[in-house]
Amino acid sequence: MFAALLAAAAARPIQGADDGIIVGGKRPMILHNDRPEDLETPLRYFDSWVTPNDAFFVRQHLPRPAAIEPAAYRLTINGMVSKPAQLALADLLKLPQHTVPATLECTGNGRGFYTPKVPGIQWGRGAVGNAEWSGPRLSDVLKLAGVDSKAAFVEIDGADTGVAATPDFVRSMPMPKAMHPATLLALKMNGQSPDIHGFPARLIVPGWDGTSWVKWVIRLTAAAEESKGFFMNPGYRYPKFSLPPGSPPKPAELEVIEGMPVKSSLTSPEDQSKIALGGSQPPTVIRGFAWAGENAIERVEVSTDGGSRWGDAQLSSQKLPFAWRLFTLNWTPADPGYYTIMSRATDAAGRVQPIVPAWNPSGYLWNGIDRVGVTVEKT
Amino acid sequence: MCTRMAVLSLSLTGAGLTVSTQAVIAQAVTTQAVTTRAADQATLDLGRKEEARSCVPCHSLRLIQSQRLARATWVKELDKMAGWGSVMKDRDALLEYLVANYGNDKPVPVPDMTRNGK
Repeated sequence: MFAALLAAAAARPIQGADDGIIVGGKRPMILHNDRPEDLETPLRYFDSWVTPNDAFFVRQHLPRPAAIEPAAYRLTINGMVSKPAQLALADLLKLPQHTVPATLECTGNGRGFYTPKVPGIQWGRGAVGNAEWSGPRLSDVLKLAGVDSKAAFVEIDGADTGVAATPDFVRSMPMPKAMHPATLLALKMNGQSPDIHGFPARLIVPGWDGTSWVKWVIRLTAAAEESKGFFMNPGYRYPKFSLPPGSPPKPAELEVIEGMPVKSSLTSPEDQSKIALGGSQPPTVIRGFAWAGENAIERVEVSTDGGSRWGDAQLSSQKLPFAWRLFTLNWTPADPGYYTIMSRATDAAGRVQPIVPAWNPSGYLWNGIDRVGVTVEKT
Repeated sequence: MCTRMAVLSLSLTGAGLTVSTQAVIAQAVTTQAVTTRAADQATLDLGRKEEARSCVPCHSLRLIQSQRLARATWVKELDKMAGWGSVMKDRDALLEYLVANYGNDKPVPVPDMTRNGK
């Protein structure tokens, strides 16, 4: 009966915004999926270095777990440890609290730009955000249980579970990254409760793809080997050697995704928008953000003529690993017409955004030079 | 894959069993793709019912209807979902419905916006 009701409710044809999908605590967001929630941030919300929680993208593989009562919350630490532990929220709050600004990006951000199309959420530019994450270091949490020095991985499980036989969302992280001082178990996101982003405890893995940032963490298991679950293999793997577009993956040549590539996105002007030409008009501000996984952004160049000539954009002053930099360039077009604006980032290690990102069967890690088209009109 | 496509096209078009080369199979599949929507509405209706019955218990239809995939990719998705516990009674009809409506030759849809939840 319940399944039938559910089926009837969800079988309604997709309608406009009036069909009433509301996600508590969120401004209007681009709706890719409502059960579970997959919400993209519209570009117009990206006007600050910190992305507000109410505008931050949401990616759920599995239905959200039932609300966790803070007093009842327990974090289990087991496996290759000398003192298996069940920690309460108060135990985590007693540890030194740290804040790390870091950009979180869905591994599939930009999947919709790949040709040929691949299955998965068809994200555009907005499955990314930058926040200040606060909580104890994962290394301090693990030390409470006395992790064996021979444990090479930490397995992380969230409170969410799969429907029917859908695999549980379990991830593994190599011990050096788990023990890195910037890797946190965040209890706060921009000073607030993480709510839909993983309350009460969410893993922060700065510079690594969003899939590593497990939400609603309830178990940490120290292990000698990597977890063998679906979300480690074949899920979230990337071809070691590039494949011709449209070809099937070669399972033996797929690798776990860890760090992220260098990337920039234009947030303004909007693609296919119109700009007024005129002597008294203030310049058009070309804006965007750039990030590079574990590296800092060194440079962002912008072109307004389809990539023929490039000029350096102004970068926000904080040059940090893990967190994005905002860029701006004032532009006063001399003539009316259609212009292709592009952005290209370079990181501190010298990596440069490609014109053509490597097609891959799951549509991960899109980082092509960004471009939008605008029409400049006489007023 | 070719075997599956051939079987589908044969069963749906009623063509003879003498098809022997890949080129002819491909042509049969193309012909079938062009004619199926008009000729076999019953299959598409059955596929739509199967979508509501076997997909919706786990996720909303947006997840399906926002995709634009080639037939071979839809086959893989159905294999994955079968492995994850989806019991499909009319799997072949579901596949035809998905290819006819959400194939990679269809225009890419613009997603809706949520309403303000603040």
